[in-house]
Amino acid sequence: MIVDGRRINSCLTLAVMHEGDAITTIEGLGEPGNLHPIQAAFIKHDGFQCGYCTPGQICSSLAVIEEINANIPSHVTKNLTDQVAITAAEIRERMSGNLCRCGAYSNILDAISDVAGVKA
Amino acid sequence: MRSFSYERATSIEAALQAAARNVDARFIAGGTNLLDLMKLEIEKPSHLIDVNGLGLDTIEKSPEGGLRIGALVRNTDLAADETVRRDYGLLSRALVAGASGQLRNKATTAGNLLQRTRCPYFYDPNQACNKRQPGSGCSAFGGVTRQLGVIGVSEACLATQPSDMAVAMRALDAVVETRGASGAKRSIPIGDFHRLPGDTPHIETELEPGELITGVVLPPPVGGKQIYRKVRDRASYAFALVSVGAVIHPDGSGQVAVGGVAHKPWRVEDAETELSKGARAMSAVLMEGARPTEQNKFKISLVERTLEAVLKEARE
Repeated sequence: MIVDGRRINSCLTLAVMHEGDAITTIEGLGEPGNLHPIQAAFIKHDGFQCGYCTPGQICSSLAVIEEINANIPSHVTKNLTDQVAITAAEIRERMSGNLCRCGAYSNILDAISDVAGVKA
Repeated sequence: MRSFSYERATSIEAALQAAARNVDARFIAGGTNLLDLMKLEIEKPSHLIDVNGLGLDTIEKSPEGGLRIGALVRNTDLAADETVRRDYGLLSRALVAGASGQLRNKATTAGNLLQRTRCPYFYDPNQACNKRQPGSGCSAFGGVTRQLGVIGVSEACLATQPSDMAVAMRALDAVVETRGASGAKRSIPIGDFHRLPGDTPHIETELEPGELITGVVLPPPVGGKQIYRKVRDRASYAFALVSVGAVIHPDGSGQVAVGGVAHKPWRVEDAETELSKGARAMSAVLMEGARPTEQNKFKISLVERTLEAVLKEARE
């Protein structure tokens, strides 16, 4: 989920620690007939199978694009003092904390890349 | 998870007093490791003291020309800080080599230093573990030890300290600043902060009961090529088998700490005089006295090879 603009693991925090915080879960992104672009992209690219991990994948995806735009480095960033570029390698590394046991990773990458304007 | 009470501390003094009132209390900041362990009932605090409201979340120049990092600075913010990226690249690199983006957004500087081992025998309450339950024995002996420690180990414990950040801090000669239960300030060099297991593996750091980390101070920038190289079973989101954090200067001298091999970030300053002779010479001294198992003796040569790769990268 996204708390005050940042993705975190909902299972590793306590609700009582978030009084007054702005919290966005998958339910806050879009709705049937009015999907968020990243939700539509997951459908277009078949970015899921069982769907269990999908809410987390989608929330994480949005935050990943924002983290790159905010120039936050990752393990695959070549030069720490350059502006971080949106590339398939950056997206793949940053999504590593979202596991998909069906193995839809390549389609998830396609969906995010589509929204971010990157060639996967 | 066992039931517990919770309070938000509004000052350092209030947090220290709350901890002094309840010996079973724990400070909670990011919570990414503590809550995980509470669910498994490995950590069983009766009370949580939320320290997120204490400030302590800024990165400032120290009077000596170094950097003072507040205890509550999130791993993401520390890795992304302009000064850290420019002057302490090793620290940025180590941070982004660890955990996941979600975890780094919550995990704090102090909490990262205090994270517990990922030894599978510590995590499984059905196994004997002297760290989880002092005196119960250690099921790792005769068990699966591929990930576990090879040097500084004891008859009681083979666990490793899992932090990537701490390896960089060790190579950079960081100092941990604390406030004790009485309110007294203390500065602990990072090399003294984590303990070897000995016969008390449940005591992992020099912190006294109720003592609170307030920040970490880095000395003035040392320059050099700063490299963190982590070897693990998958390319991302995994703990290190071996990692090397190094500052390599143009004259071939340097500062080197190793992760994934011991109960603390492993650094032997005397070994660094061998650095200009190459990875083999240095790692022979660095890993002298190692007591690996049949399953993890590969870590000895992996340290040498990882260091060799670091030295090669430093020459590029």
